[in-house]
Amino acid sequence: MALTVDKASKSFPGVRALKDASLELRSGEVHALMGENGAGKSTLIKIITGVHRPDGGRLLLDGQDVLFASPRDAIRLGISAVHQERNLIPRFSVAENILLENLPRRTGLVDYARANAEAKKYLEMIGLVVDTRTEVRHLSVAQMQMVEIAKALSHEAKVLLLDEPTASLTGEEADALFALVQRLKAQGAAILFVSHKLEEVLAISDRVTVLRDGETTLIGEPMANMTRGRLIEAMIGRAERIAVVRPPKAATGAVKLEASGVATAAGHRDISFTVRRGEILGLYGLVGAGRTELARALVGKDKLSGGTLSIDGKPAVIRSVEEALKRHRIGYLSEDRKYEGVVLLHPIRFNVAMTIWDRLARFLGFQTAAGERRATEPFARQLEIRTPSLEQSVGNLSGGNQQKVSLAKWLAAKVDLLIIDEPTVGIDIKTKAYIHELIGKLADDGLAILLISSELPEMVALADRILVMHEFRIVDGFDNDRSYEAMSRKVMGAIHRRSDEAVAVE
Amino acid sequence: MTSALDAEPRPSSASAMDPAPRRTLTSLLLRGSTQAGLFVILVVLWVVFANLAPGFLSKFNLNSLLRSVAVDIVVGFAQMVVLATGGMNLSVGAIGVCAVMFSGYLMQVLGLPIPVAIAGTLALGALLGWLNGFAIVKTGVNSFVVTLASASLFSGGMLILTKAVPLNGLPAEFGAFGKSAVGPAIGSMPAIPSLAVVALAIGLGLYVLFKHSTLGRQILAVGANARAAEMSGIPVDRTIVFVHALSGALAAAAALMLTARLAAAMPAVAGDDWLLPSFLAPVIGGTALSGGIVSVVGTILGALLVSTIRSGLLVLEIGNFWLPLFLGAFLLAAILVERGRAAYVAREQARRA
Repeated sequence: MALTVDKASKSFPGVRALKDASLELRSGEVHALMGENGAGKSTLIKIITGVHRPDGGRLLLDGQDVLFASPRDAIRLGISAVHQERNLIPRFSVAENILLENLPRRTGLVDYARANAEAKKYLEMIGLVVDTRTEVRHLSVAQMQMVEIAKALSHEAKVLLLDEPTASLTGEEADALFALVQRLKAQGAAILFVSHKLEEVLAISDRVTVLRDGETTLIGEPMANMTRGRLIEAMIGRAERIAVVRPPKAATGAVKLEASGVATAAGHRDISFTVRRGEILGLYGLVGAGRTELARALVGKDKLSGGTLSIDGKPAVIRSVEEALKRHRIGYLSEDRKYEGVVLLHPIRFNVAMTIWDRLARFLGFQTAAGERRATEPFARQLEIRTPSLEQSVGNLSGGNQQKVSLAKWLAAKVDLLIIDEPTVGIDIKTKAYIHELIGKLADDGLAILLISSELPEMVALADRILVMHEFRIVDGFDNDRSYEAMSRKVMGAIHRRSDEAVAVE
Repeated sequence: MTSALDAEPRPSSASAMDPAPRRTLTSLLLRGSTQAGLFVILVVLWVVFANLAPGFLSKFNLNSLLRSVAVDIVVGFAQMVVLATGGMNLSVGAIGVCAVMFSGYLMQVLGLPIPVAIAGTLALGALLGWLNGFAIVKTGVNSFVVTLASASLFSGGMLILTKAVPLNGLPAEFGAFGKSAVGPAIGSMPAIPSLAVVALAIGLGLYVLFKHSTLGRQILAVGANARAAEMSGIPVDRTIVFVHALSGALAAAAALMLTARLAAAMPAVAGDDWLLPSFLAPVIGGTALSGGIVSVVGTILGALLVSTIRSGLLVLEIGNFWLPLFLGAFLLAAILVERGRAAYVAREQARRA
């Protein structure tokens, strides 16, 4: 089966999302779809899956014009998508989720014996070993993704869209997923693979289509002819800037935060470190190592169960995020942009001003939208937030711009210590480079930064020192010498040594 | 490196940052449009009722309509401020009943001066609301459950203490205020009842709160996304306790207005009767049940719509039994019309873009 998008266009209020975009997907291939955030990837996918109808252009299935009135139509014709936002029902079993739309029935009731048997068939197809009666909420993120793929297969999907499938997977889990993708490809499926990670795309795709500002700059180019440089150029319209690497610096600023022997209910034990002004302290670890949980405890969202903090040289107890911000001038840029970073419903100026309402307030807490605009405009401008106006709801912005709004909020607050958690997850290359530069500049201007990231290149490029966290402890720490090879060897060594010890003890 | 940020001017995005007046106007019209639609429906209803029943526009009917809608508006406000945070207050009626009887007790039994009695009653309402908020924040239980329980507690406690005996000997001035009016009557238009002026004044206060104050913004931030608000340093718990106390005080204000209108403190006048209208007025008026969006003007119009339908049916001498049916039908129609209009606007916008 072949799916062709021929010069599709789509506009939304105020935005031209797609302009004559084309795509040609064949069975038995892995086809990469790339582009920066806001380039139109999501829109194109939504057109293919029947969520949006294009304003212009054609959609062809095996050479026949098709028109989808709803996602159901697309699914019926064998097109299924596995999205970033999981569409599983947490309290339903694996079997129920896989067969949700067509659970086998006997005398009007669900025939669970048959449902489990049938679901098992699909799980075997993808090589996932879990009990089909397990509730989905008990699965790992990677397993959930596999279940979604099984669900797609149950619809006899011949075209499978994987939207950022590895965003929250560990390296091993991602490898397992790629092996599955290869198997499905061998069985004749057409796979559209959307990802920001160049290495992945280069490794597993046969051909690539690239979107830039709603237009396709590469259409079905064989991957064999591609290089990293050419891909980036197609995506951002110019060659990749040499990654900005901060010159290594000895930390000389005053100590902003010192943690000694910190423990938390989440399971942290004996966490000690210091962060100085003007320094970027990296906190590296795999997903689930306890980095975000530590950050939350540091800003007063969760309680410490042991140890002490000292801020600006004085002992301190932080009871709430409000206190962290107002008394200790500490901010936390959440990794969970949509749920913790921004208020999607409200305008940009509202979101950025949130941390500085106290400062903007006049007599009796009086505020005006104009006052907020004046105070937030310089930050929106500095961060190059792309928007027609500051009155735009943040929900209408692309992921990269939402992240900038979230960051602008903390710049406006003029904090001394900013804890930055996975600042570039799901963000396009250009914005990513931009955010990296910005973080470096903030440190140069005297901000203390605690950078949490599971992307080692990011760590190596930015951090002055790198702490390695594993299973809720800090297992090692190194001065960063900016050599990726050396640092990755040290960091991985620290993590695996720890795992080996744990195994040995058991 | 230091200048890397500033040295890369991007004219397109820089000019895009300038406030674009046309867009702002469009968004303003759009945001106000639920209310505009509501206004049109109201006008149509008034024309229909005026033609079908000449008594509808009589001085007497308009005066009584305005006096009763004044109370409904404030009841709607009491719910609206909690809806703004994404919660709800099922005890507005119960707090109202407590406030009605408490005000009667203060004035008739204790013989306190009217201003003192008013202040005391508002304080009681705020206290009961504060208890709701405190329980919600401390236990982490949903506001629906907490206020469902407290509604029974409050009205049960009130019944035990007062034995449901009405207090009829309120100071004459208090009842007189309930009947008084401001400004001259023009033609068949009655003078504006003082109660309506009170409702509008409270509305103005709430408008300023939500449009122009730190607290109002915090409430809307909490309602739209409590987690993001908390992680941005906004005192979420305090904000929730505040809106519940405010809701209690507004319910007490409505209770005082009702007591003044009836010139007596009677336990059967509020309670469950307030529950549905308290939701109807804000929700018809564009306040989001999910939180983060409020409309003071919409709540006023919503209360007017409900009262208009009720009064129209009364004047048309259609039995009271028909009221719920008509109310439901109008509501549904209003919602459908509004949906259609919003969809139309979205389509138009998409076409222009």
